[in-house]
This record gives sequence, C-alpha cells and structure tokens, in this order.
Amino acid sequence: MTNEQSALEMRGINKSFAGNTVLAAVNLSARAGEVHALVGENGAGKSTLMKILAGVYQPDAGEILIDGQPVRFTRPSDALGSGVAMIYQELSLAPDLTVAENIFLGREPLSFALLGIVNRREMNLRAGEMLKAHGFKIDPRASIKRLSAADRQLVEITRATVEAKRVLVMDEPTSSLTAHEVEDLFRLIRELKSRRLAIIYISHRLEELDVIADRLTVLRDGHAVYSGAWGEISRPEIIKHMAGRELTEIFPPRLAEKGETRLRITNLTRLGKFRDVTFAVAAGEVIGIAGLAGAGRTELVETIFGAYHADSGEIFLNGSPLHLAQPDLTVARGLGLLTEDRKRTGLCLNQPLATNLTLANLKALMRGWHLDRKRETAAAGEHIAKLHIRPSDPNKTVALMSGGNQQKVLLARWLFAKSDVFLLDEPTRGVDVAARSEIYRAINRLAEAGAAVVMVSSDLPELLGMADRILVMRRGRMVAELDGRNTTQEEVLRHAAVDESEPQAA
Amino acid sequence: MSDWIKRFIPFASLIGLCVIIAVLEPRFLSSGNLASVARQTAVIMVMAMGMTMVMVSGGIDLSVGSMMALAGVTGAFALAGGAPTVVGIATCMAAGAFCGLLNGAAIATLKIPPFIVTLGAMGIYRGIALLVTDGKAVVGLPTKFGYLAEGNLFGILPVPLLIVMIVALAVHFVLSSTRLGRYCYAIGSNVEAARYAGVRVTRCQIIFYLILGTLAGLAGAIEAARLVTGQPTTGEGYELRVIAAVVIGGGSLSGGQGTVVGTIIGALIMGVLANGANLLGISSFTQQIVIGAVIVLAVTFDAYQRRRLDTAGS
Repeated sequence: MTNEQSALEMRGINKSFAGNTVLAAVNLSARAGEVHALVGENGAGKSTLMKILAGVYQPDAGEILIDGQPVRFTRPSDALGSGVAMIYQELSLAPDLTVAENIFLGREPLSFALLGIVNRREMNLRAGEMLKAHGFKIDPRASIKRLSAADRQLVEITRATVEAKRVLVMDEPTSSLTAHEVEDLFRLIRELKSRRLAIIYISHRLEELDVIADRLTVLRDGHAVYSGAWGEISRPEIIKHMAGRELTEIFPPRLAEKGETRLRITNLTRLGKFRDVTFAVAAGEVIGIAGLAGAGRTELVETIFGAYHADSGEIFLNGSPLHLAQPDLTVARGLGLLTEDRKRTGLCLNQPLATNLTLANLKALMRGWHLDRKRETAAAGEHIAKLHIRPSDPNKTVALMSGGNQQKVLLARWLFAKSDVFLLDEPTRGVDVAARSEIYRAINRLAEAGAAVVMVSSDLPELLGMADRILVMRRGRMVAELDGRNTTQEEVLRHAAVDESEPQAA
Repeated sequence: MSDWIKRFIPFASLIGLCVIIAVLEPRFLSSGNLASVARQTAVIMVMAMGMTMVMVSGGIDLSVGSMMALAGVTGAFALAGGAPTVVGIATCMAAGAFCGLLNGAAIATLKIPPFIVTLGAMGIYRGIALLVTDGKAVVGLPTKFGYLAEGNLFGILPVPLLIVMIVALAVHFVLSSTRLGRYCYAIGSNVEAARYAGVRVTRCQIIFYLILGTLAGLAGAIEAARLVTGQPTTGEGYELRVIAAVVIGGGSLSGGQGTVVGTIIGALIMGVLANGANLLGISSFTQQIVIGAVIVLAVTFDAYQRRRLDTAGS
C-alpha cells in the first residue's frame, strides 16, 4: 500500500444497455481530499458511471474499491452505507416536506428511539446550524416546493454533505446557481476537502473547474481517454479529448449587418416579476440579457412570447403592435421561444424527433387537409444535418436523446418555423461543448440571415462571446446596457448584484 | 423495435384468441356468428374511435354511455314524431355533438380535470334522458329505422360494420395525416410544450370532445335502431368498455399514445372474448373477471413502456 492510496477506485467498469456499450473498461480513481473533475460530452457515459457508483445500476464487469476494500453496491442504500453520496443533476427532494425533513430523511433524530417519534425541534435546530455553517440563507422549516431552484440545489448539497463519509459526487451542481452562490459552494467544497473527502465533480464549465479541480478524467464514448492532474493539459486539449476533434473556436465570429428594428418593447410590466422594461432589437443583432436568478429574465421573455399576460406596456413586432399576446399568435407573427425548461415547456418527450421539430410550422407541410409525411421527413432531415443532431433518425423518440441533442431539436423547431425574432432562454444549459459551439454557430447564421436574437443566459463568458449588447436586469428592472465587446464579467456582475437596501420591483 | 412489439402484441393476442376459440368451438367461424360479433361491438367501436382521439390528447370522457342514451332518446322523439330516418340519425348526432361540446368547453376553458367534468356530465346527461322520458322507453319508431342496426348491404355486409369502417377510416385519417391529429399527439404528450409551440390547445381540445360526442350520438342512433325504441337506460357501463378498448389497443391513459388500428383490435379482443365465452358456455360472471384481468395486463404493459422511456437517456 502506498500513502497515495485512493479513497475511491473504479476498475474496468463495463456497462451496456440493450446491446449498446455505454461504458467500456473505464477506470477512475480519486484520492481523499481531492476534487476530481469528470468531464465529457453529453452521452459520454458520465451519468451512467456515477449511477453505478451510487448503486442505481450494476456494472456488467469491473470492481469498485473504497479505501482499498472491494465493495458491491446492489442498491442505492448500499452506497450510502459505504459513505458514497451523490447530488443528482435532476433534483431529488420531496417537495411537500420541509428543508429539515429532507436533509434528515431516513435518519431523523428521535426523541424516544423505540417509538420512532421524530424530534422535530432538534431536527430543525441541527438543519439550521448546518445551513448556516455552509453560508446558505434558507429556513429549515420552509417546505421545499416554496424554494427557488437555486435554494433547492443548496438543500440537496447540504443533505449530501451529511451522507458523504468517503466520496461525494456532484453532477453539475452549479447549473441553477448564481455567481454568488457558486462562491459559497466552492467554499464548502474546500471545507469538505479538508475533511479528507474525495469529491467527483461533473461539469461542463471548464472555467469553473479551473478554480476548483485538482485532477481530471475525460470520458468519451464510454472510454476514459485521459486522466491526470488539472492544469497538465490546456483547455483546448481537454476539449479535443472530449470531442475527439479540434474545436478551433468556441465562439465563432459573426458577419451580420444591423438592419431595421424587429422587436421593440416599451415600459413592459408584469407586476411582481418585472417593471418598465424598454429595449429594442434589430435584424442581425444578438442581444444578451444578464442577471441573477430571480431577476425576472425568464418571466420577461415568456411574457413577450405571450405565455403570460403583461399588466402594461407595449410590444411591437416588425413595427406593428402585438395586442393580445398568445403563443399561437406570436408564433404566427414570427416569434420563437427556446424555453429554459425543455422538459416542461419544450419537448413532447414520447413523440418522435420529427414531430417535435416541425410542431411550430406544420402549415408548411400541408397539402390541403393532408399532412405530407414525405415533405416532413425531408424537412427534418435537412435540419438534422444542418445542426448535426444525433441520432439522425427522424423517428427516434426524443426522450431517448441526450440533452444537447434535444436542445438542438428545439432550436431546429424555430429555424423550421422561420422565425424573425428568436428568444433564447438559457440556450446551452446542460449542453456539452461540441453541441454548444454548434448552437452558437446556428445563432450566428440566424443573425446573418437577418433575424433578431435575444439571449438570456447565466453563463457570462457565453454572453460576452456572443452578444452585441448586454442588458442587465436586477430585481425586475433593466439597470444597464453594456457593449458586449467592451465589457467584462466583473462589470456585468457589478450591475447584476443586488443592493440589499433597494426596494423590490413590484 | 419496441414500437413494433407494442403494436404487435395486441394483434397477436387477438389472432391467438380467435384460433383457440375456433379450435374449441368451430361454430365461432360461421358467418352468422362473426356478423353478430360485428353487430355487438359496433356501438362500442364507434365510440372508441372518438375516445382514441380524446385519450391520445391526454383526456378522458366518462359520459359516453350517458351521451349515447340521451342522443338516442332525442332522436327517437324526432322519429316517433314522424321525422324521416336521416333526420332522426342527424338529430342523434347533433344531440351528441352538443353534449360533447359542453364537455370540451368545460374542460378546456375552465381548466377542470376531464375525469371530474365528465364524471359529473355522466350523471347529468343520464338524468336528463330519464327526466324527459319519465324513465320509459320512447316507442313508435318506424320499423324501417331498424335497418341501421340489423340490415345488410348487398345482403352480406352488416350496416353497423360498414358504419364502423367509415368512422375508423375517417378518424385514422385525422389522427395520422392532418394537423389536428398531429396536435392531438403533441397536446397529449405535453400540453405546455404544445402551447409554447403555438398550438391552439383550447380549440383543439374542444374539437376532440365534440367529435367524440358526435360519434356517441351516432352510436346512440345504432343502439336505438337495434332496440327499435329510445331507451334512457341504455349504455350504462359502456364508458368502461370503450376506455378499455383504447387501453388494450395500446392507448395510454397519460396521453400521446394510441392508434385507431390498436383500438379496433382492443374492441375486438373484448368482443371475441365475450362471444367465445358465450359459445363455450362460460358464465358472464367469469367473463367479467377475464376482461378485467386483460385490462390490468394492458395497463401494466403501458406503465412498463413509460418507465423504460423515463430511465433512458439519462
């Protein structure tokens, strides 16, 4: 035994589903007290590997060692028993229980152990202390369903830190957190490191890993293609390993000419969400909307799209006013919304790819009463090729596709609808690097073809890389307009950050 | 491949069932018996076509049996009053369409779950049918009207079977080859996503219930012709047989799945089971147990399919 013994060792893990090899002889080892970054494109096998570690799936071959001892996890409770805890990307809290009840679910402190009576007071007290120690401002007695997505994520993290004795897996833990909360999280991770925990950290955001990662394993198509200390290879090299090819530029240049105004918003207000928002976007322009979670960005674009009614203010599309905003009318007038939550408001999951892709513009496929299937297959095929959607079978059920490809299908929906104005809400959330650059290229092509693009994003490098202008929202108000090429992350954040003395917008 | 299995299993079950019954009781295959299976299942099938559309769109309608009775009674009044046969049938369909429109409007605009709305409607329509007839059958229909249920076209093709074929072709065309049909699957799969894609969800939902009501009215006409009276008590329990036909045929209770061909097979499985059991002298009590078990099996299969989709791609 060496003094460099691994807290976690996965050796030769194989797994296939229905004949498809998802993992092929994957090795992964993480030392106590290190943050081990696990990166790879969507569908590379990261989630499957971690589900094997958490006891959700059983490997077809290979072994797992914790502190050098072989273990077998046949169900999730086995993994927890060995001190392996996981924070899932898809939140897994019970919405009707309180924060404290969720944190202590399955190991509630008892007053009379034999009777199994929960000591609610102590539970709330201990949960409150834990949250406070982590720097999270969350009431332990609040019920989960009343919390924001970011707060739920923080509760999930708190719960996992209680369970994790040896290994903690974090799957995209920052996807719904603001920059400030990310800092809190990183402080917590450093503390966990000092407790000699091995942390497996899955993320698509390489900038983030620069700050926190000690070592790195890259997965591609079910193989571990690289493993080494963080910083040993450069970022482009990492991306090359992930994609299996060179990605010359993540943010490709755009040659778009600014044309006439496509969308103009004046004093748009939805009480309690945003107030007096005014801006305009011209053909060929890409504007970014930055802000912290809860600043009202999603509500703003959904209201422009007509999913919700505004209380006052006006919307002009190509010069003429939109009176009664409803999605069917705005879509017909050339507006498209790529939604933030693709599973809830984007995809018809149990339907084929082609159905999802053509849904917003079926009239282009009609011959009288008859929907022309041949024309549909051809149209779908064209967009599948243009955006490199995988798998390329138009009859594939979209639920079986990876997140990045699902997102491309939704973008293709609005390309096919020939929208003039694209409202893109977090267009690359949970999307891998290769798919991202594909999406960026598609956005550029749209602008070059004379569309106006409004892009809401929490990913600042993305906004800086893509937007001509960046509008910053804070507490429901538009507080700044910055030149996308001459601003910095710090400047955007300074405008976005909330001053506590400031009154709420509505 | 799984789609293929999903389509094939009900069909294979139907064929297997027919073979077993035919071996045990050769009379099953006589043209007289097969025609009677067709006549007995016609009413269920006509309504099941409309129910397929409603269930694919994520809805359900428990009031079909009541709509059918109310429509049948309404048409019977018209016929007994001397209206020509065609007007009588049209009256039935109009009455059914009106009921369906009310269901659809309540569900789509008031945003009340369809199960609750149509559970209430089931009682309301039945009550109205009983009230206007004072609980008694409407008599005095022209004997010629019976042709709709008992007649044969060219001496061989039972008229109800012809009606089923026309309705099935029409609904199949709507579901597979029109915009409305595509929206039906999209709404059933994810109503919010459909709305965000610009689909006029409210209007579509009302149309689906309207079509189902119209077909329940047509079924009411066939039933009235079969009984040569307008019976306010007819069609009780039919809603479950209609829903079962859709589910056995691969339709999903949670929407987005289901086909006309599947529903026909589902209705035939139940019809053949009942007919075969009668021929073999199995009691109707036992039949209920068997049909119940078949429904549970079909729903289990549906749930299994959905779980497979849920766990995939993660």
